Amino acid sequence: MKNNTQNNTFDAIVVGSGISGGWAAKELTEGGLKTLVLERGRDVQHFKDYTTAFKNPWEFKHRSHLTNKELEERPIQSSHCDAGNKHFFVKDSEHPYVQVKPYKWIRGYQVGGRSLTWGRQSYRFSQMDFEANKNDGHGVDWPIRYEDLAKWYDYVEDYVGISGSSESLSHLPDGVFLPPIPMNVIELHLKEKVSKEYSDRVIINGRVANLTAPKKGRGPCQYRNLCSRGCPFAGYFSSNSSTLLDAHETGNLTMRANSVVKEVIYDDLQKKAIGVVIIDAVTKEEISYYAKVIFLNASTIATTAILLNSTSPSFPDGLGNTSGQLGHNLMDHAVNEGTYGTYDGLKDKYYTGKSPGTIYIPRFQNLNSETKHIDFIRGYGIQGKGERENWQSKATTGIGVSLKEQLATPGEWRISLGGRGETLPNYENKISLDHQKRDNWGLPLVEVDFEYGPNELAMMEHMTKSSEEMLKKAGFKNVGSYRTSPDPGAAVHEMGTARMGKDPKTSVLNNHNQMHDVKNVFITDGSCMTSSGSQNPSLTYMALTARACSYAINQINSNQL
Amino acid sequence: MNRRKAIGGIFGLVGVGFVSVLGAKYYIGNSSHDIEKLEGYLDLIAELVDVIIPPTASPGAKESSVHHYIFDFMEDCASRKEYTNFINGLNDLQETSVDSFNSVFEECSTTQKIQLLENLEESSTYSGILLKINNKLRGRSFFNMLKALTIEGYCTSSNGATKHLAYLPVPGRYDAITKLKVNQKAWATK
Repeated sequence: MKNNTQNNTFDAIVVGSGISGGWAAKELTEGGLKTLVLERGRDVQHFKDYTTAFKNPWEFKHRSHLTNKELEERPIQSSHCDAGNKHFFVKDSEHPYVQVKPYKWIRGYQVGGRSLTWGRQSYRFSQMDFEANKNDGHGVDWPIRYEDLAKWYDYVEDYVGISGSSESLSHLPDGVFLPPIPMNVIELHLKEKVSKEYSDRVIINGRVANLTAPKKGRGPCQYRNLCSRGCPFAGYFSSNSSTLLDAHETGNLTMRANSVVKEVIYDDLQKKAIGVVIIDAVTKEEISYYAKVIFLNASTIATTAILLNSTSPSFPDGLGNTSGQLGHNLMDHAVNEGTYGTYDGLKDKYYTGKSPGTIYIPRFQNLNSETKHIDFIRGYGIQGKGERENWQSKATTGIGVSLKEQLATPGEWRISLGGRGETLPNYENKISLDHQKRDNWGLPLVEVDFEYGPNELAMMEHMTKSSEEMLKKAGFKNVGSYRTSPDPGAAVHEMGTARMGKDPKTSVLNNHNQMHDVKNVFITDGSCMTSSGSQNPSLTYMALTARACSYAINQINSNQL
Repeated sequence: MNRRKAIGGIFGLVGVGFVSVLGAKYYIGNSSHDIEKLEGYLDLIAELVDVIIPPTASPGAKESSVHHYIFDFMEDCASRKEYTNFINGLNDLQETSVDSFNSVFEECSTTQKIQLLENLEESSTYSGILLKINNKLRGRSFFNMLKALTIEGYCTSSNGATKHLAYLPVPGRYDAITKLKVNQKAWATK
């Protein structure tokens, strides 16, 4: 083990460079801390490493298809990637895990992590979400409320650049917005019809981290809708295009790619964490790094796996796990497979440019006594997209000249809707380590044991039913849904496993994302989530990260860490 | 009982290749794709895609190398079922061509080619649940694959996307509602 303490010592270590790790890197370095960022995957430099970004469809030998060999290497990831972005997803064959029940763990091991391929939907949690556990007794109460996070939402939104519209909904607070991506004619049609037919719901412009106006040398969005290949225009927010570049600017950042964190080192005498041990992904050499404060941002499941593997006399069951909650309460958003319909009309309208955004129907269930449901608690929102069919979606007849003409003609208008529902925290949904099975670096494999409960299943059923009803009431034809079995993990919104809470006996982190048991370890990725809300969670991770970094910097400056 | 099963039954040879009337082997379940065999059909595939998407004011599928795309797809992406169906479909089509017009497909007249493919489309048209069952049991049918791959290969080719459809790689703006112009072409990509 290489233990050159002097060269290997920093003020702060951040594990992971995805959406929350990038924020930790930016905030800590801007706060004056010499910060080491450890990323288990390869380096990906903004612009230069977006190797497919400018490729035309015909420059891909198999167009968007993965080959049989690529599919074999990616039995899980393949449902979420194609030929254009597969290099930003792991090969399952190189990074196996154990599924007790089917669970898709979608991962991107590279600098920037999944911030390169995320869906960019950005919604605030509301007071209702922070009080949900307390009010219905599922899980434990959040140790914070909306007002604790509001100014941090402002702060990160202003930096990230979220396009959206202010709507004055108490259950989906407004934020600091760039102009919204406008709706096309079919989306507006649906919005108007839904407003007429329903008093309990509205359709709003989706709030997305795509720049409708330039920001600090980034963007604006060029409306290519090829975001997940990496954007050469920095038209959407990723760690690579923004937080990591700003962190680098400070001169305080050391980035080390290909660094698989094996464990956090705990000193039983000092009663704090003193550093981490990494395995170089390429050379397999073990190296230790030391710091005053450690931020774990490796992603929900991976962060907890590191903690479970970090055992010491004080913490034989994993670092900071005196509550026994570490690894438990895994959540993911419940998604249905989508509902669609076509509209016969508005044929004289079209659009130019490809919107990377969506429309959004904020949660409209269980908001008050009028919207109360008997078959499920909490609720779901619906994302949607309207488009005019082209060759990719339209049904054609025949062959020859007439077929060729059909292909060149814009087809019917079509809307697709998909729900995202809150998953209740449940102790039985968990991750653990299987020490009998090891990966290429000798580390125990993660075992995921998750299934939706009756509340999520009832909600999924309802989101499909309500989506179909809305489209029918709005005059759509050929309304149908893809009804397949529940697909846990498919939302790529895994949350929980190291939850925040007021009581060290029942939670892992306190109100500052600080481990109850180990005060110089902070966790601000999805692991910290006490409940899941129905909103896409990345914005909340970013706000929690900025808030926790500010706290940690103050603690260090006042010699309390 | 379809013809392949009938022949297989007579010869008791289902599961292995045998020599058909044209001297080409039927292909029923070898473990790997028989690429040499597919190469032998490249000219036939080129003729087929050009009947499905012929040259008009814009180039046709053959000029746009769609047959090469289909070859690459079959070689690297198709499942075993799909590959088998495709090779068998090419074989069947060639036999039907000889039976009907005394000529291999490549040498038929345009009218004859269209007739052969239209008959094939008719005989392979399932929809709804029947299509799903058929796809599940036997894999996508030869004609459905041929047509879908031709459309995809053509619309994502340089010719198809830029000369037959409207392709805008960097729109630079989003005009959410525009008035459709007379003869405005559909966008090539979403």
